[in-house]
Amino acid sequence: MGILKDEITRRSVIAGAGGLVVSFSLSRAFAQAPAPPAPPTTPPAPPASLPGSLDDDRFLDSWIRINPDNSITVFTGKAELGQGIRTALLQVAAEELEVNPTEIEFITADTGRTPNEGFTAGSQSMQNSGTAIRNAAAQVRALLLAEAAKRFGIAPTELRAENKSVLAKDGRSATYGELVSGQTLHVEAQPQSAFKQPGSFRVMGKPLPRVDIPAKVTGQPAYVHDLRLDGMLHARVVRPPSPAAELTEFDQSAADGMPGVVSVVRDGNFLAVVAEKEFQAVNAMRTLAEAARWQERETLPDQTDLPAELQRLEREVGTVAEAGVISSSGKVFEATYTRPYQIHGSIGPSCAVAQMKADGTLDV
Amino acid sequence: MSISLTVNGSPHQIDADPSTPLLYVLRDDLALNGAKYGCGLGQCGSCTVVVDGEAVLSCMVPVMLLEGREITTIEGLGTIDDPGPLQQAFIELQAAQCGYCIPGMMMSAHALLRRNAQPSDEDIREALATNLCRCGTHMRILAAIRRAGELMKAASLPESDERRAG
Ligand code: FES
Ligand code: FES
Repeated sequence: MGILKDEITRRSVIAGAGGLVVSFSLSRAFAQAPAPPAPPTTPPAPPASLPGSLDDDRFLDSWIRINPDNSITVFTGKAELGQGIRTALLQVAAEELEVNPTEIEFITADTGRTPNEGFTAGSQSMQNSGTAIRNAAAQVRALLLAEAAKRFGIAPTELRAENKSVLAKDGRSATYGELVSGQTLHVEAQPQSAFKQPGSFRVMGKPLPRVDIPAKVTGQPAYVHDLRLDGMLHARVVRPPSPAAELTEFDQSAADGMPGVVSVVRDGNFLAVVAEKEFQAVNAMRTLAEAARWQERETLPDQTDLPAELQRLEREVGTVAEAGVISSSGKVFEATYTRPYQIHGSIGPSCAVAQMKADGTLDV
Repeated sequence: MSISLTVNGSPHQIDADPSTPLLYVLRDDLALNGAKYGCGLGQCGSCTVVVDGEAVLSCMVPVMLLEGREITTIEGLGTIDDPGPLQQAFIELQAAQCGYCIPGMMMSAHALLRRNAQPSDEDIREALATNLCRCGTHMRILAAIRRAGELMKAASLPESDERRAG
């Protein structure tokens, strides 16, 4: 969950930390995709579009690292929220890398380490991150096979990847770690990958127990709420009574003398209190809430006729499916269906932890 | 003020304002993750723990009322390496999505199963009526609790999941 100063720092950290990575040319591994060198006068072509989130984080080592000790780390910018994607994405990576899911250290949504894949929302995780990981894993496997083929002096077709090693039919083998050690890879992914055939899947499409459940049912740390840092303070936000309400007045002194209160923070209409202990923050928040005055404004649409409101917002009108011809002799029924407009609310409240480090970086 | 509490069979001395609800003491002073803060208002059940055999909303009970009582949290039902029957059943039936409501569900179920190791679905629904799940895990939760009852019966030790607190 580290936030480093900027993208360049982050990249250099990843690249500089050694590990993955596979420094030979991709065109050897993907002989089917040899773009002829462009004549020098042509302006450089825009980069080819890559599958899923690879398009935004184009380097294989943003997604997969193989370390000299033969350990494997896979990264996703998506967060496990109970949809099971930690397990599902792990299955994808394990399948194309030809390893056991237990062999992979899987890092989810860590701003200092993983690709930035934006929100985890809209059922996009498998589509975008899963696609990226599957392609990256397949390409890393192809690179490993190509490197082994070069070392053994045989064709890649004489080799197979299995359990973190590349094995030759004649019995020679090399571990993934040996094949990448001492090399720095930072190669861009290719648009095409040589995927495994569905018939040969061992992990994908097979049930795998969710890897996060045992911790969640035994009280192991599993949520942001479970982070406890040295000297950590607790804050509570004084919520406005309605959207867009304006904070016109509040009495800071009401909270100032309360036990444990460290500070009251106001920024425009945002009001919060920081205290040493959590329940002290809750108490101070309640006191501050009583002492705060808000100017409320009508900003919400007419709640009694939301379907009409939603139709006014509509952006895209289309036909879901169409088949056959309506017979002119039958009766035609027409109906309009609406359902309430709903948004998920989770039981776990929104929570964040921030730590200011001695070097001036802020971990959030 | 110093308060003595017994949690999962272990005695603790806590320095807290006596009006502090048990939840904050469990989480912040004892570093136990099991009981969850959901609403802090007695509305969601995610903070449920068992006190002297009864399911209790820990966000509502001031810690001063709990001296000398037996408090059990899911940490008292077993460990990740040696899960108790209720935990085993929830793992086996994959009865969690986000999992945030689950410890509260499990503690309500624990209180129920102590009284009745073979509850009907009606009994389970009634015992868990104060526990909300926003992910929609309800059917698996029901199945997991039935399964826990079976596991406990098979072990023919209805209290065997309350290892340290039993
Ligand atoms: S946190 Fe106690 S009932 Fe919601
Ligand atoms: S599993 Fe998410 S709230 Fe129940």
